Amino acid sequence: MHFKDFYKSRGFHSGLLTKTLRVVKLTAIIILVACLQVSAKGYSQTVTLSRTHVSLVTVFEEIQKQTGYNFLYTYEDLDRIGPVDVDLQKVPLTEAMDRCLHNKALTYSIVERTVVIKRKEPVSAPEPPVEIAPLPLLDIRGRVVDSIGNPLAGASVTIKGTNKGTKTNARGEFDMKDVRMGTVLVISYTGFNNTELRLAAGIEMYIVSMQRSQDILDATVIQAYGTTSRRFNVGSISTVDAATIEKQPVTNVLLALSGQAPGLAVNSINGVPGSRVLIQIRGQNTILSNVNGFSPYDQPLFIVDGVPFSPQNNNISQLGGLYSVQVYGGGINSNGGLNPFNNINPADIETISILKDADATSIYGTQGSNGVILITTKKGKAGKANFNLTANTGVNTATRQLKLLNREQFLQLRKDAFAADGRTPGNDPNNYDNYAPDLTIFDQNKSTDWQKLIYGKSSSNTDIHASLSGGNGNNTFLISGGYTRSNYNYPGSSFADQRFTIHSAIHHGSQDGKLSIDFGSDYGYDQNNSPGFGGGQKILLPPNTPDLLDSAGNLLWNYKGVDLTGYQFYAYQKMPTLLQNYNLNQSLRIAYHFLPGLTLSANLGYNRNTSTEKSQVPAAAQSPAYVQRQASFANNNFQTINIEPQIDYSIAIGKGQLTALAGATYKKNTNNSNQTSGYGYANDLFLGSINGAASVNNFDASDLYKYSAGFARLKYIYDQKYIISFTGRRDGSSNFGPGHQFGNFASAGAGWIFSEEKPFKAALPFISYGKLSGSYGTSGSDGIASYKYQSFWTPVGYIPPFLGTQPAVPDNLYNPNYSWALKKSLNLALDLGFFHDRLLLNANYYRNREGNQLGGYPLPIQAGFSSVLGNLPATLQNSGWEFSITSNNIKTSDLTWTTNFNISFNRNKLLSFPNLESSSYKSRYVVGKPISIVYGYLYKGVNPDNGLMEYYKGDGKTVTTNPDYRYATEGGDQVPIANREVKYMGGFGNNISYRHFSLYVFFQFSSQTAPNYMVTVYNSSFPGQSIKNSPVEVLDHWRHPGDHTTFGKLTTDPNSEAYISESNFGNSSGGYSDDTYLRLKTLSLSYSLPQNWLKKMHMQDLRIYANAQNLLTFTNYKVGDPEQFNDYTALPLQRTVAFGLSFNF
Amino acid sequence: MKYEVFFPHHKIMIGLLLMAGLSSSCKRLIEIPPNPATAVTEAQQFSDSATAMTAVAGCFSYQSNGGGSFTFNDGNLARNTGMSSDELIYTYTGDPAGLQFYANNLNAFNGSVSGMWASPYIGLYPVNATINGIAASSGLSASFKKATIAELKVVRALYYFYMINIFGGVPYVSSTDYQATSRLARSPVDTVYARILSDLTDAQQALPEEYPSEGRFLPNRNVASAFLSKVYLYRQEWQKAYDAANTVISSGEYILEPDLNNVFLEGSQEAIWQLPATGSYSVTSEAQSFVPQSSGTVPTYIFTSLLKDAFESGDQRLDKWAMATTVNIGGVDQVFYSPYKYKNVYPGATVEDYMIFRLGEVYLIRAEAAAHLGNTGEALDDLNQVRLRAGVSASTASTEDDLLAAIMHERQTELFTEWGSRWLDLKRTGTIDAVLGAEKPGWDAHDALYPIPNAQLNLNGLLKQNPGYQ
Repeated sequence: MHFKDFYKSRGFHSGLLTKTLRVVKLTAIIILVACLQVSAKGYSQTVTLSRTHVSLVTVFEEIQKQTGYNFLYTYEDLDRIGPVDVDLQKVPLTEAMDRCLHNKALTYSIVERTVVIKRKEPVSAPEPPVEIAPLPLLDIRGRVVDSIGNPLAGASVTIKGTNKGTKTNARGEFDMKDVRMGTVLVISYTGFNNTELRLAAGIEMYIVSMQRSQDILDATVIQAYGTTSRRFNVGSISTVDAATIEKQPVTNVLLALSGQAPGLAVNSINGVPGSRVLIQIRGQNTILSNVNGFSPYDQPLFIVDGVPFSPQNNNISQLGGLYSVQVYGGGINSNGGLNPFNNINPADIETISILKDADATSIYGTQGSNGVILITTKKGKAGKANFNLTANTGVNTATRQLKLLNREQFLQLRKDAFAADGRTPGNDPNNYDNYAPDLTIFDQNKSTDWQKLIYGKSSSNTDIHASLSGGNGNNTFLISGGYTRSNYNYPGSSFADQRFTIHSAIHHGSQDGKLSIDFGSDYGYDQNNSPGFGGGQKILLPPNTPDLLDSAGNLLWNYKGVDLTGYQFYAYQKMPTLLQNYNLNQSLRIAYHFLPGLTLSANLGYNRNTSTEKSQVPAAAQSPAYVQRQASFANNNFQTINIEPQIDYSIAIGKGQLTALAGATYKKNTNNSNQTSGYGYANDLFLGSINGAASVNNFDASDLYKYSAGFARLKYIYDQKYIISFTGRRDGSSNFGPGHQFGNFASAGAGWIFSEEKPFKAALPFISYGKLSGSYGTSGSDGIASYKYQSFWTPVGYIPPFLGTQPAVPDNLYNPNYSWALKKSLNLALDLGFFHDRLLLNANYYRNREGNQLGGYPLPIQAGFSSVLGNLPATLQNSGWEFSITSNNIKTSDLTWTTNFNISFNRNKLLSFPNLESSSYKSRYVVGKPISIVYGYLYKGVNPDNGLMEYYKGDGKTVTTNPDYRYATEGGDQVPIANREVKYMGGFGNNISYRHFSLYVFFQFSSQTAPNYMVTVYNSSFPGQSIKNSPVEVLDHWRHPGDHTTFGKLTTDPNSEAYISESNFGNSSGGYSDDTYLRLKTLSLSYSLPQNWLKKMHMQDLRIYANAQNLLTFTNYKVGDPEQFNDYTALPLQRTVAFGLSFNF
Repeated sequence: MKYEVFFPHHKIMIGLLLMAGLSSSCKRLIEIPPNPATAVTEAQQFSDSATAMTAVAGCFSYQSNGGGSFTFNDGNLARNTGMSSDELIYTYTGDPAGLQFYANNLNAFNGSVSGMWASPYIGLYPVNATINGIAASSGLSASFKKATIAELKVVRALYYFYMINIFGGVPYVSSTDYQATSRLARSPVDTVYARILSDLTDAQQALPEEYPSEGRFLPNRNVASAFLSKVYLYRQEWQKAYDAANTVISSGEYILEPDLNNVFLEGSQEAIWQLPATGSYSVTSEAQSFVPQSSGTVPTYIFTSLLKDAFESGDQRLDKWAMATTVNIGGVDQVFYSPYKYKNVYPGATVEDYMIFRLGEVYLIRAEAAAHLGNTGEALDDLNQVRLRAGVSASTASTEDDLLAAIMHERQTELFTEWGSRWLDLKRTGTIDAVLGAEKPGWDAHDALYPIPNAQLNLNGLLKQNPGYQ
């Protein structure tokens, strides 16, 4: 039945196919569906084919592959022909067909995009002359739709070879009167392939389904509240598609964005599966208040299928786990934690749009101030039901392991350090200066490689994903399910992150095309089993650490009187932590096209992200001297309700098309969390419940945020050349106090496709596309917690009552007057396409200035709190250049090679800061300089005469071993020593496919000045002085006068000159190094089985592949991972190599 | 299908009205309740006495849980000054910041010092806010106001007393106006003492004779008097110190606990002011830091030989207030002592409260004041009260100098690791350079004051560093 509908809708004259149909029916269905499947690939207007002794089936398959034209034939007919020889070189389809069928008993006709092969009628007798009567005139009606049935308004319908024609209305409909039967109509619409339609009698309504053009300029780009194409877009939008995501064996989709889009910074906190990944677009716009080591980090707004993701990109865990204590020492201070995006299956994602400039984001107003990331999940495709199964398994190993001192080296270093002070290591703690249990009490012959023990294991990932999709033009569906298990590269087999996801999408369009309904639902369950807390630092345990476990696996706490508490690595492993995260995302879009050009629609979205956590400290994890069993329970709920009614109006005015959009947003975010800890359990078995606790502490918190806005967008495209767009918005936020709740924001954008100008075309014909565009606009920021404009007191539930009264404490300092921060964004872009758009170049210049800065203003602690919320009159600028190149280097039937390259340069500058000198930012920031500058001492080096580390004093000339930590402006020695901003970053990818093989090679690179390993050496394991291991690099330390070394003289004496000089090192320019790296981020190789094999297996597609992530790194950064600078003990990023297969039925 | 049914004509108007309606009701859409579920406004907090008492309770107990340093029952004051002075050796070898106290080479980046600076101020904010909130409230009775404000003034005085004895002069903050308080410079020590004395004398007059509640948690007049005697002692105003201590002792409310094991328990008859231990396990931080974590191992904090040798033979305090751990090191059994005044690492059969003032110290204050005033007989009596309770023979010191030396010695063994007593004694008596200079190789006179944290100097340009810390 579907089959018939299908043909009818394509305008076939029923009589034409009757006979064939009778014969082929089922076969044809299979072939056609196969044809439709491949029709998404790249097509050529010509055919190039050279084969000898091949079957016609093979020839037609090849032609079909190259041209995208479908073929209709019976095997019976073709089998009678036998093998043929063909030699076609760039000939048009018709010529190719003529030559293939020359002297054969077959003929062909091309109906729309289908080549119909049939038998020649036997020439038995000369045909009687037929009177050629003129064909009848017809009144016809038709409707033009896209592949999923959405009407295409404004498509032009012309009679082939003439200028006569019409345009479709808002419902995509057209009518024509008195057109002769057999006339060919050409339907064209920007962004779609031209489609031809031969008129036949007896068809009430032609349905013309148009295929999207393969020109990359016309590919759909998801933008705010709709779609656009690269051709007509004036905003700055980068897109990462499913094909790029699925080649990367990552469990968190955010990791797949690394290096893929210019201006997008992706920072992994550590390599623990599920751990946080921080994302930033075009730099930090908010001044880093750096209060108590915590700095705000601007992150974009994340929207999944039109629904703002309720936890955004924030930590969802409250209790400690392996993921939470791995402190990231970079510019982004964070407590780590688990990432909510870990609960979205990358395999369910169709595309990710990164919206960067005012034109693209200002319609999101406040929310989009730091850019927007739109994640769109996969939707069903019309056609026969398609079942896809993908499965892979991967192996993880730690990237860039350290080379630590071995036992001999470590013990010798310690001995040398004592000797350097003239001390003799002893075993008596009363003589603390000489106390060295590692040299005098521990076994001198025992050796453990702690790094290997903790990180050296390889672990495995498993990933299975299945999907079923199908439907017809009006109704499509997709349902998919996935399971992912990633293990920790860490001792203890039960520690893993597991994810189960179910995704579905339903589309319904009414027969008359007026109503469309899209419903999407995602449910994810993520389960993270982790040890109590990390212990990455334990890789620095001395190699001769005594046994920490007895033969039965129990913890040991005493070695010959030395307390092993500080050494006990395995205690963490006996403290299980479980986090279960549930994510439900539901989106409903209802649109009704109720008048020509006018659509009323509503987006309704709901997201709920819930985490429950349990962690236990059983007796087995504790020293038997004192046992206090403990269990903690925590819940964390994020919820967003989002309602967005909209009116869309589209009308052709003159030579142009005007689209207008007006809408409103209502959003309510709630976050509730609670935590209960129980103590004093009588037995480990009771730890699963709070009921057995002798005493209980409680904590809960809630946050409520409401946001509403009205917005409008006006866009006019004139003559396919000139584009202007305006957006305006009025935002209201509950985060502000009375009188400060509303703000108005607007943007304007314009574009000029100059390549469409005739003089230009004539002068520079090799430039196939050229567009200049720009935008300027404002947006606000309300990114703060609610209620802080008043002074509140909070009861404290986690301490016991005082005299029967539960204590209450002040919650905050308050400032009733703060309001929107204001960001002004300018973006200028040039797009160029060369050689029929085979080479596309995009260059962007942007300049963002955020004034009236909103954030925590740091205060000295004598005020009682370390900061107060407020607006700061300072203005911070981020400006930069972004370039991206897409190139189709080779495109033949067998070999295609495309290259993508992007690079971005962001420069940060504090433009103004009135009263900087009297503020608490004094000496921290300098007007005219980036906020990423670091103050410290200018390091000179190790003095070869005495082994002391030397620094320049504030005057820049004289040298000292003990610099004054005041700023040079105040008489001390601290001066700006480094600028930590990223100098440039980007990615470089190549996609090569040869016949059935496909290879993807993607490099990511970044360059900045970053803290180096020496900082960690001196901050956490002062070599020789503490009983902690160090990288082998410390062997290059000073021994004798005249030595030129990296590290200073060894010492164990905290009062020695050497110690004091070295303790200043971490705060000096010596602690900063160039951190430039090029990383082979992704390598993916796949092989698709040939069609004829597949046919035998009744499959459409079978692909086997190997994907690798973080395979190779080229860097000048010494010791540790260049992405995880500053702390080489953090759990390293993972190198993953996954093997898998994917097939479609 | 006929969707027309659901969308009658003039839909545009309906649509536009809908949009218009939405935008005009914007204000209502973003309305949220006046206060979050977890909090009340300042006005609500002081609207009646029961609610106001939760703020008072916060002042007394929140800081004891703050997890910072220098708080009512966080052990930092005892640990850090114990290491800086001659009481404790730190045997853990993996903590450079802790080592700085023992080595007397603190710098302005030391995290523990930052905590000792920050947490009193974090604790003072609620105290000032509660004093001001109660004073401004119209829903509270005059007697309630008088009593609670007096109690909180004692708390405020306590914070500042230890602040100035650790850091020297500090910014004196008594309001919650951050615009003003964030720009305060350090007040001279004398100025802060004047404020402390003013708070304490106010409190002494306003507080009732009896404890206002069960236990000895909320201060009564004797608490103010005991505190005053200590302040006067530090100010070397001997007569005033004597008088204040005398008031407390002669009140007859307190006796020296005959059994040393009962001194730090809840209900101790020696206690003048105690606070419940409210840490995560409702035990004191002292017990958690000082009691060895593993049996049979060298404790993390051990007595210096100086402290150990200060105990005369038969001194019960070495048996009952210190824990002896025998460890065989290199074939030789060695005994290590660690503080054991507070014994509960986890809640036990007995409840330990945090001791702020106790009769033993007040006897020693009166003894010292009396000795300075030439009243040697009374001084000796008071001293011997403490000695006899500890099981050591009565002192026979007769001259003022001998008596003062005996009292200092007694303070060392009686008050070790309590509120930094030893460190403060060495400083107030001007003997610190002589004593520690002989004991500690890294000693320098400037080490007697801890540095002002570097971050605070940067945040408030008016703060000036202590000498010797460049």
